[in-house]
Amino acid sequence: MYIGVDVGGTFTDIAVNRDDGTTLLLHKLSSTPAAPEEAILQGLHSLFAQHDLKFTDTERLAHGTTVGTNAIIQRKCGNVALVTSQGFRDLIEIGRQTRPTVYDMHLDHPPVLVDRGMRFEVPQRRLADGRIHVPLDETAVEELAGRFDDADLDCIVICFLHSYAFPEDEERAAEIMRKHVPDTIKVITSSSVYPEFREFERFSTAVLNGALLSVVGSYLDRLTDEAGKLGLPTDVKISQSSGGLMSVRTAREFPVRASLSGPAAGVQGALYRARVAGFQDIITLDVGGTSADVALLKDLTPSEVNERTIGGFPVRIPCMDVNSVGAGGGSIAWIDTDGLLKVGPQSAGAVPGPACYDLGGTQATVTDANIVLDRLNSEALLDGRMPINKARSVATIDDLAEKLQMDSDDVALGIIQVACSRMVKAIRSISIERGHDPKDFALLAFGGAGALHAVDVARELGMNTILIPPNPGILCAEGAMNADITADFVNTAFCELAKDNVPTIQALAGTLAKEVELWFENEAVEPQQRRLFWSVGARYFGQNYELTLNVDMTLDADEFVARTRQDFQEAHVALYGFASEDEPVQIVNVMAKAVGELQQGQLPLIQAKSDAEPVEYRNSLFKSGVRQRTPVLRRVDLHAGQEISGPAIIEQLDSTVIIFPNDTCHVDEWGNLIIRLED
Amino acid sequence: MAINPIDAELMRNHMASIADEMYVALMKSAYSTNIKERKDHSTALFDHTGRVVVQGESMPLHLASMLGLVEIILEKYGVDGIRDGDMFLSNDPYVGRGSHLPDVAIAAPVFANGKLLMFVCNIAHHADMGGMAPGSMAGGMTEIYQEGLRIPPIKLFENHQLKQDLLEMILLNVRVPEERIGDYNAQIASNQLGIRRCKALIEKWGGDMITEGCDAIIAAVKKRTRAGISGLPNGVYEFEDIVDDDGLSRLDIRIRVKITVADDEIEFDFAGTDPQVEGNNNVTMAGLQASCLYCVKVLIDPECPQNHGMLDPITIKAPEGSVVNAVFPAASAARAQTAQRIVDCVLGAFADACPDRVIAAGNGANTSAAFFGQSQTGKYYVYLETLGGGAGARAYKDGTDGVQVHMTNTSNLPIEALETEYPLMIERYEFVQDSGGSGKYRGGLGIRRDYRPIGHTMTFSGQGERFRNQPWGIFGGGAGAAGKFTLIHDNGEEKRLANKPAALKLDEHAIISVVTAGAGGYGDPAERAEAGLQEDVESGKFSSDFMTRNYQQ
Repeated sequence: MYIGVDVGGTFTDIAVNRDDGTTLLLHKLSSTPAAPEEAILQGLHSLFAQHDLKFTDTERLAHGTTVGTNAIIQRKCGNVALVTSQGFRDLIEIGRQTRPTVYDMHLDHPPVLVDRGMRFEVPQRRLADGRIHVPLDETAVEELAGRFDDADLDCIVICFLHSYAFPEDEERAAEIMRKHVPDTIKVITSSSVYPEFREFERFSTAVLNGALLSVVGSYLDRLTDEAGKLGLPTDVKISQSSGGLMSVRTAREFPVRASLSGPAAGVQGALYRARVAGFQDIITLDVGGTSADVALLKDLTPSEVNERTIGGFPVRIPCMDVNSVGAGGGSIAWIDTDGLLKVGPQSAGAVPGPACYDLGGTQATVTDANIVLDRLNSEALLDGRMPINKARSVATIDDLAEKLQMDSDDVALGIIQVACSRMVKAIRSISIERGHDPKDFALLAFGGAGALHAVDVARELGMNTILIPPNPGILCAEGAMNADITADFVNTAFCELAKDNVPTIQALAGTLAKEVELWFENEAVEPQQRRLFWSVGARYFGQNYELTLNVDMTLDADEFVARTRQDFQEAHVALYGFASEDEPVQIVNVMAKAVGELQQGQLPLIQAKSDAEPVEYRNSLFKSGVRQRTPVLRRVDLHAGQEISGPAIIEQLDSTVIIFPNDTCHVDEWGNLIIRLED
Repeated sequence: MAINPIDAELMRNHMASIADEMYVALMKSAYSTNIKERKDHSTALFDHTGRVVVQGESMPLHLASMLGLVEIILEKYGVDGIRDGDMFLSNDPYVGRGSHLPDVAIAAPVFANGKLLMFVCNIAHHADMGGMAPGSMAGGMTEIYQEGLRIPPIKLFENHQLKQDLLEMILLNVRVPEERIGDYNAQIASNQLGIRRCKALIEKWGGDMITEGCDAIIAAVKKRTRAGISGLPNGVYEFEDIVDDDGLSRLDIRIRVKITVADDEIEFDFAGTDPQVEGNNNVTMAGLQASCLYCVKVLIDPECPQNHGMLDPITIKAPEGSVVNAVFPAASAARAQTAQRIVDCVLGAFADACPDRVIAAGNGANTSAAFFGQSQTGKYYVYLETLGGGAGARAYKDGTDGVQVHMTNTSNLPIEALETEYPLMIERYEFVQDSGGSGKYRGGLGIRRDYRPIGHTMTFSGQGERFRNQPWGIFGGGAGAAGKFTLIHDNGEEKRLANKPAALKLDEHAIISVVTAGAGGYGDPAERAEAGLQEDVESGKFSSDFMTRNYQQ
């Protein structure tokens, strides 16, 4: 039995795969933000009792958490002291010396997590090539350590310049500190958290990691304690921002790696479903109430980035490249001072929610537009649990229509188009702008409102296939359940891509390989489950942004250079439209991704024995001026192999799927809907 | 107008995504640090008459150059002289529409079915444009000829063919041409990308709809700008501010403005401003326009999209030949310094009109430091950076410490990148104690950054502003501290340098220490909250001496 849990701000989702070929067990309950483990345990208790399951039969409990992210946003994290090279204690406050936006004089970056009074300098300075300009003053470090004796402090973060390549001074200072401060104070170095050049981002990542140690650590203690008492596995697996899982031990040491795992777990879930359904190249569209998250997976490999921010602070950790835009079901439609119709980024949220919820919302939202067009059930949503007041939706849309002097249906259609155009823009920037043609990809839509907007988005991008997984609203929990454990390793190289340097590059890879080996050992990954992927960051000398290229470290020097060079040229042309034949290429860093494949449960097949029949007909609008009699089917009734011709609407507990006129939908044996758009 | 407000918004979104894509592609593939790290570049889409319809993320000072650029190309070549596959290049402030020579603008028409429908354009600040001094930004020059190569609008491409000979001529005139060619390639590729995307846009909407859409998008900004101005009280507002010097012959250059707000229109009149100067901090009309538009935008509607519609309700008058409306052959490389002062001056004037929106004077400069030399490996380098300083205190909170203000928001280069790429080292990068003016809300602190050449003798040139005239406080707030350049030898000898030093040589036994100005405070210091006073001392940002002098009841 495999359990996946996703703890979000509003809901805690649980997916349990009994691995006996029958349906996944799903549970959604309100989160308990003050102690997130409570909702998890409560949910598991009721699910297990209901289905008469034993906790001790659980193979794996995997979990995506926002404990760290929330702690940073609410600034409820640990107390940190920062120790840095002489002359640079303000570096982390100066940052990139920029304002968040050019034109807003009243907006600032968030205050640094370490007050200036807790930032200390010690004589120490190395140059870029490792030469010692000022030797580390060990006495100064010792004296400083003395000052932390009884300080109310959780962590000391050591941040020296050029430590990405020359970590010796940081490590030495940490060693001295550890010897002199109480054990309750953790001491970490910036190079151990993420050894890459660009000091501000590295320091910032290290400080965030230090500030999260106690918060995330104590949460994990409580969770594993409780899990252990029930007989659940105590080696809970935690989702990372890269989509892979990590052990509790790693999560305690590097809590910052979990901080952006929410959207990544969703993509991970999509990836697993797509693989089983036989898809290779997909773009994911996760539409919730407030925002839409999109990602691109070529050959089922998500692209990664390592530049992200949490609560306004930069972090450098491997992250799935998920692009987010403030357009979702709750996004509010409004007329700007310029007279044009805008949708979002403001959202009506869950409370008051769209006008049709009748909870006090007075502004038209994307959901209201879908109600007006009779695409959404205008009596109740969530299998009848959420009653809908259609008159409210109509009133808010009519109001906009009057102001715009347009037909109400056209305004409702326009609201959906504008919202979708923002999702399209988000997809363009991860596909077309990176040299990928969306036509070559299938759109995998999930989240509460993904399936509702998938067709509009796909058509705008020229995509012709849409995949809707069986449980679109709970895919993040599935993603945690079905991920492997992974770890990323990086070493800075800074050398020309040339035959003579290949031994250097391979030596760096050799160092990483040792770390990888150790990690496999520590995580008890069996040899046949080990996978290792190499890549390099490359750019032309003088450029500032590197491209990540997969490489084969076993090639001989000539071939390594030729192959890497060719891949670089191709990637540069795809991204920027040109490449230079003769300019030297610089290898900035060498990266290893280690994967420990985990045993996965069988995804269950759907159960219905005959084609589903419509439960009702609705007069829905898909095209300006045309309302059409549209059959409504229930997702649970669908039969494997069933073919549905549009127009049709398929309703389920957590989502509504729209099939446009002349499009067709095929139901596969796992219950995925595969929609083919008419040309 | 046949296009409805929903389609106009859909088209605007699509166009904005094209301009943004051009912007990012240019930034990521460029070579000049100014572009790749400091984002000193802009992109825009135009309609067929040469009006800006959407701008990508952009540098405020480029706005006015964009606004006039295609009009000038149309004027010079005529609609019939512009064909599919042409690409135009220009950098001159007088016959082109630039504001200084290092900003190279490249524009290209977009045709569909043989009809001219749009233009795409980008502007980028090159690390060198030739001329007397490396970096093409140094002071000490008195006419534009000395500042670099002047290029009027010319065709760089004709019938899809690059005019190789023209490009060779340009490259022969600039330093480190092997890097500069990368910048030209990046700019050309950015436009080619923009053209491809615009063609798809036109195919989707149809040519007639595009023309209508452009009209509607411009009209929308017009309406929005007028609505914003209506929120300001009618009246006449005046202010005066001072530029330190021109680096050559003039001290304390005066800028005066009289602003008239009448319903939904604004007139700026700079009568009384000093004549243009011998030095290089003259602003041309394009720069003045950009500065005024920046002020209007920050005060009335920071999120307003930028296009030609902004100009509609705004009139700008300035004496010809003044330092804010300079005429040929005035040198203008350092026009940003004066543009920053125009912004201070305009915001100062607006203080009574909208006291809660204006802020006190900040470091008011693009304090810049340029380094040139030959590393031990024999490679020549040119490296320029601009430094932030204090930002002015606001109606509800302190000013920010160590940050870029107003017309510039360029990022620093990571020290680890800088020291890897150039034979330089940074010895300290920190706030300057006591440099923020006192007040109910205090001004931001200036920055100190020390540079040492490694293993060679380097040449330093710099531009400082607010090094003599301190940034003013507002509504009773104190002034911020002024900045300075200092040469410090390892033997302890210190020498205060000129505010705009040119071509100073130093070896590895000395450092250049740059201190930028702080910023003015807002409101009476006696009203400063206890928590603020405590934080000032505990953070070490202010000395107890400063606190005693400025906050004693």
